[in-house]
Amino acid sequence: MKNQNSKGQDSKAQSSKGQNSKGQDSKGSVLKRWRPRWISRWGERLRLAPLGARLLVASLLLVIVLLPLAGVGLSYTFRQSATASFDTRLESLLNALLAGIQVDSIGQRLQLNRSLGDARFDRVYSGWYWQVSNGSDLTLTSRSLWDQRLPIPEHQSGLAVYEVEGPRDDDLRMIERGLRLPGHQDVIHVALAGSTAELNHEVERFERLLIVSLATFGVLLLAGLALQMRWGLAPLRRMSANLRAVEEGDIERLDTQLPVELKELALAMNGVLERDRRLIERGRAAAGNLAHALKTPVSVLKTLSERFPEAQRQPINTELARIDDAVRHHLARASAAGGVAFSGRVSIGDAIAPVVQGLARLAERRGIRFDADIDPNAAARIDPQDIQELTGNLLENALRWADSRVSFSVSRVSQGVRLRIEDDGPGMTRAQGESALARGVRLDARGSGSGLGLAIVEDLMMLYGGTLRLERAALGGLAADVWLPASPVSARIGDTASQPPPAD
Amino acid sequence: MKVLLVEDDAALAEALAAALAEAGLLIESTTTGQEADFLVRTERYDAVILDLGLPDGDGTRWLSQWREDAIDLPVLVLTARERWSDKAAGFSAGADDYVVKPFETAEVLFRLRALVRRSHGHAHPVIRIGKLTLDTHSGSVSLAGRPITLTAQESRLLSYLMHASPRIVSRAELVEHVYNRDHEPDSNVIDVQISRLRRKFGRARIETLRGQGYRLVDLEAEA
Repeated sequence: MKNQNSKGQDSKAQSSKGQNSKGQDSKGSVLKRWRPRWISRWGERLRLAPLGARLLVASLLLVIVLLPLAGVGLSYTFRQSATASFDTRLESLLNALLAGIQVDSIGQRLQLNRSLGDARFDRVYSGWYWQVSNGSDLTLTSRSLWDQRLPIPEHQSGLAVYEVEGPRDDDLRMIERGLRLPGHQDVIHVALAGSTAELNHEVERFERLLIVSLATFGVLLLAGLALQMRWGLAPLRRMSANLRAVEEGDIERLDTQLPVELKELALAMNGVLERDRRLIERGRAAAGNLAHALKTPVSVLKTLSERFPEAQRQPINTELARIDDAVRHHLARASAAGGVAFSGRVSIGDAIAPVVQGLARLAERRGIRFDADIDPNAAARIDPQDIQELTGNLLENALRWADSRVSFSVSRVSQGVRLRIEDDGPGMTRAQGESALARGVRLDARGSGSGLGLAIVEDLMMLYGGTLRLERAALGGLAADVWLPASPVSARIGDTASQPPPAD
Repeated sequence: MKVLLVEDDAALAEALAAALAEAGLLIESTTTGQEADFLVRTERYDAVILDLGLPDGDGTRWLSQWREDAIDLPVLVLTARERWSDKAAGFSAGADDYVVKPFETAEVLFRLRALVRRSHGHAHPVIRIGKLTLDTHSGSVSLAGRPITLTAQESRLLSYLMHASPRIVSRAELVEHVYNRDHEPDSNVIDVQISRLRRKFGRARIETLRGQGYRLVDLEAEA
């Protein structure tokens, strides 16, 4: 904590110094700080979003922008065409009106010699009106206009369409024509207006329908896109499930029956997996060869040193023991490397069969009764060599110490496999049990080598996350009880070396 | 105790043979499986120390061949390979025990003595015939609790008779197991050594059965 505080102060001091000397820089950093934090947070979140979510967000944005645009366009077009057809109706009514206009030859007065035949023009303030005027004193109006008049803009010859306000403050669409009649000196303005309420109503109904259909279309489109994405990304999901299976050790290689883009990826990954395996194999082989090459000369030195007086022999033996320990330790490590990461599920019975057969033969030669009860269905994720090592060391110890009987059982237990090895030998005290697990400590001066065997077993237990218990056997001697998880939680290879250094 | 050492590394073979000989064992050495095969089939050994990495084929090949042909002598396998997959192959081939390089001479000696003792049907490491006891671990002999000093040759002779007891051991068998094949003794030599042993333990303990051989007698049981 203290450290952090002083660091914070340092950086503050530095930044203030920076402001003094380089104004430009500090301005830049101020601007940067001003960017709203939520933008960068969302940016970060989107950048790491799953592919499916990214595609869905992209199509959602498209739908949100495109569908309203289409709606607006369609609505505009519809209003245009509805207005045009309204105008056409107005024009045909106007033509009918024009056809009925006559000039009274006597009084020079205008007359309408036939009705338009539309009741709306007779109902007062119905919203449908006509008017024939000569500019100054009015001549004729529809009954619906009653005492009101349509506002005629200043002189216009020919046909014109206006938006005007009607007698009841209603919006009207008016078509007007100025014309001269024979025997009449003034320009006659013939106007016919209809309420746009009907038109607006029609457009509104269309828009409502449009919104509903576009929304439905959008939802269906998104659902379709989601389905398409599921289908499109299915090979990717299959591949990742496949990869997990490789990790779990259920299969050795990725399935390459995939779309061409993924197929190449899977092939490349298989190549990497294969190379890893080969590297591990080569590492193991190299460590093994080196170890075996070293062992014979070390044996010679050890044997020769036995002829020396004790004082000289002691340091030589210490050094030889160090060489031997290093060789064994690194050989075991090299063998274990990749054991967890790459080992698939193996049948315990099959894996240890050669060891059990070999030791059964040995037991027979030694006149020891050897009972093995192995559940053929017991399986675990473990390197076959490692389970052989484990079983071999424990069984060999039991055979070495047994008077007349050794029993061995492999059984399935919850989430794992249990191995139990019992003998009727002298057994072990608690202290002996503990020291037996320490690397290289031998149980007695007769050099039985059992100490190292158990230490190897202990190492394997650590690697695979199992447990080893030493206790008194029903047969009278020692019982070694091993529990192995069916699937180790994680690979703990290179343990201490790869751990991050402790924080200070 | 006569042991055949099959080891191709000359330095190791020499050092190990010297160390074992010092402990009183009679060692014959060879470097190839072929020769070992010939010797095992023609000579009599109490045990074989067999290195697995031989120039003319894997040791387990020779071993399983011997077992198939009912050659049942104890075999101690010597190898640099300590993986159990390798060991299992050795045991399957018929090895009786396994010593992984690098080893101590004491360990090889201990395993060998245990193998030979077991092959004669003695479960306990100390063989007792009346008041005469042989500690197979150390090779020391005592009479009524009093340690007796013996020469290497005498020790081998007595040790063989004790392992074999109460069986009768023929002169030929003694010659095969107690003497080096290059220095086969006159019948005189055996007589002389037997009579020396009789002087140390009492005449009646080693019985001579005319035309058959020698036998150790449990005087205390008969008394």
